[in-house]
This record gives sequence, structure tokens and C-alpha cells, in this order.
Amino acid sequence: MTSEPCRRPDLLRRFVPTPYVFSKCVGSNQICVESNDLEIALGIRRSGIVQRQGNRTGGLLCKVIREWTSPVDDSDISIVSDGRLRVLYLGTGTILIHDHERSEILGFISRNVKVPELVSSLIPALLDPGG
Amino acid sequence: MSYVLIDQTALPYSMELSFAGAPCDLRTNSLELARALERLSISCGDYGLSRFGMRVIVDGASREPIGEPHFRGLHHVVTASFGRSNLFVWDILRRTLGASVSATAAGDDRFWKEKLIPLTLGVLGCAIGLVPVHCACLETDGDGLLIAGVSGVGKSTLSMALCEEGFNYVSDDWTYMSLCHDRIVAHGTLAPVRVLPDAVMHFQSLQKHCLQMSMYGELAYEIDIAEAFGAQMERECEPRWLLFLERMHRAGTEFKPMSIAETQSSLSCSVERLPVQLPEAAATREEMIRSVSLLPAWRFRYGGTPQFAAKELREFVVSRRQEVYA
Repeated sequence: MTSEPCRRPDLLRRFVPTPYVFSKCVGSNQICVESNDLEIALGIRRSGIVQRQGNRTGGLLCKVIREWTSPVDDSDISIVSDGRLRVLYLGTGTILIHDHERSEILGFISRNVKVPELVSSLIPALLDPGG
Repeated sequence: MSYVLIDQTALPYSMELSFAGAPCDLRTNSLELARALERLSISCGDYGLSRFGMRVIVDGASREPIGEPHFRGLHHVVTASFGRSNLFVWDILRRTLGASVSATAAGDDRFWKEKLIPLTLGVLGCAIGLVPVHCACLETDGDGLLIAGVSGVGKSTLSMALCEEGFNYVSDDWTYMSLCHDRIVAHGTLAPVRVLPDAVMHFQSLQKHCLQMSMYGELAYEIDIAEAFGAQMERECEPRWLLFLERMHRAGTEFKPMSIAETQSSLSCSVERLPVQLPEAAATREEMIRSVSLLPAWRFRYGGTPQFAAKELREFVVSRRQEVYA
């Protein structure tokens, strides 16, 4: 066996630690918010929109990573809806994914996006079934 | 705000395609793109791979160019953007790619051939039974030689020298492995060979090519090895030997046999971790790495030119064959 350390790459930033975890029961549904940014985790937990979504879908996981190094550029919101996935893009660095079958909201938020914009504008746009 | 719905009813053109042995169901609204992808599709044997789906909607009015790539992934989803109008979402659990692209991207055959198809096989591979392994693959008389090693060690440069030495080219940086009736099959894609600028010291003909920013964010020559070196391309082969390439200062070569455990550990370290949400894909990859680790493997160190190393490897392959047939 080699004794060299194994440094496996994480090019997609899948394994960014998310130490801020809030779990909450709404009725019989479990809602879990995970982030590497306390402000994001608190903002989502307080927002109510996730609770409403969790109520409808029978539980919800919301994992959102704050990106400090991704490109920051101005752009309009684009939403791509494909089967069970709905993906919201804002510029290059902000990507939010909603898998409605698995009841998961996953995403990366670039450093120029403030938490109020995330919870009052981006997540509602992602979840809006009519949009 | 723009909204794109990738709905089957909006995608009237459908085709059954095959990339590196993996069957693909394409649906798109662009006949031009469907035909371009059909030209890249190669119908080969049945390797028992799972099907994957590609749904691509083309905005015919958008002339947005292909921009810088940006990749992210969480759980079972991987996304990529190449500028604001070229958006890609891979769902590994459901083995699908959904994409919304500009007419410019849709009409760029090289983009699909050299970037999107290899990327899709890389992302979805473990879920369809086609496991990407970080190594080059060359072929001679039906036998495959896998060359692994850390990025930048010179796998591509050595591959080019081996092609000059008469080996056939299967793949450069990533080789896609399937298991068919307990035999490993190594598949290539049409991705270009990517070599760093200093390779021009050994291959003067590279001067005719332009350096460009690769997807990995480094300046490199990206060349079609068949066009540039007249190399014979092979779609697939059965790998017989595995080398882990290392460099040394003094001129010469060294071949040091590796144990199965050492080989397995080195291969495992060279691939990205998979998230816990993808247990089947992780198990498929583990099984493949275990199978590849059973190949005879050596740590191959050389000092000197890649052409010198290629001649030594040619001798090495001949002597391995003589041992087998003796």
C-alpha cells in the first residue's frame, strides 16, 4: 500500500462543509437547512417559505453553499425546468436547484447576493410552479 | 427573467444514439443539432450499459457565444454554464442531461464533440456502467496500454510520442471503462489531446497550433491527434497493462511492479469522490477500479525525451507479449 496522502479533487465543490444545520418538524414533516454561512442558514429558517414547501411535499432538505470565489457578474434570472428538476441561474455564480420529487433545494450563492434577496426573491422564483 | 421549459412536446426530433458504447436517447427542437450529434454517434457493440437521456432545447434566436465554463455539483445534480445562454443540468440518479443552448452553441460541432459529449460521459458514466478512469489509453495489435499518473506528469506528451512509435490512439486524459462478460473494455471519446506549452520542445509541429485556454483554466494546445500526427484512432480496446507514469532527472527508464492494493489505491485517489446520495454509482466505480487493479501494473519512471520513453515502452510491450506466448 502506498503511504502517499490521497488528495481527491473536489472540482464541483460538492464537499464544502456545511456546519450550520437547522432541523425542524412542521407537523409530521422534517425540514432541514444546511449551509456553510450562518446568515444564509438563519435567513432560510426564518423565511417561512421553506416551511410552507415542506408542508406540501412531506419534508424538505435545503442545502445552500455561500461561494466566496465564484465569478460575480450582472445578469437576469434564468430558470430552466426539466422534468423533476428546476434550476435558477443568476449570473455565473448563483445556481439554485429544486428537485421536487426528492423535495430538495440545493444551491450555490455568489458573494454579491444578499440573504434577503435569496429568501424573498430567488427561492420563491425557484419554487413558483407557475413561473 | 427568462424561463425555459424542457418539455418533450417542445422537442419534436428524437434519435437513438451511442457514445463510447453507451446508448443515448436524444430529444431536441433542432434538426441541425440532431444531425450533428448523429454524426458523432458510433453504433458499436452491446456492452450492457444503461441508457441515458439528452434533452436539448435550442434558442434559435440567440447568437450568444460559448463562454467560460463554470461547473458545480451537489448531491445527484451537476450543472455547467458556458456563458449565460448555454446551461446544462445533469441528473445522475435519473441519468439525464437537460440543456438550454444558443444557436451558436448548437451549431458548433467541436463544442459537442470535444467538450459536451466527454463531459456527459464523465458526469453520468458511473451511473450507466461506463466508469471514467484518469488515464490515457494506447492500443497495439489489439492490446491496450493504460498510462495513469498525476496531472501534468506528461501522459499526453508520452501518448503523442507513442503514436509516432506506431501505437494507435484511444484516449488521452480520461478513459471510459465498461465490464462486458467479465472483460474490461476501454473506450475513448473524440476529445482532443491536451498538452502543455512546453511540449513544443519535443514536438516542433505543435508550433502550427494555437495555445488556448482549456476547460481546466490553463493554457494548452488542444489538438486532434489524427489530424496533427496522422495517428490511427481506435474506439475501444481491451487493456492488458497499466503503467503509473513518473518522471526522474537522470536519463533512463525504470519499471517497478506494483501490487494490486497499491494500484487500487493510486487509481482511487485520482478520481473525484462521489456523494453519499449516489451509492450505486459509487459501487459501480469501486468494482471497476478493483477490476482494473488486477491488470499487471508497473510504476514507470523515465528521464529524457518522450520519444526515448516511447521506444522503451515499445520494447517493453514486445517483451511482455513474448512472456505471455512463451
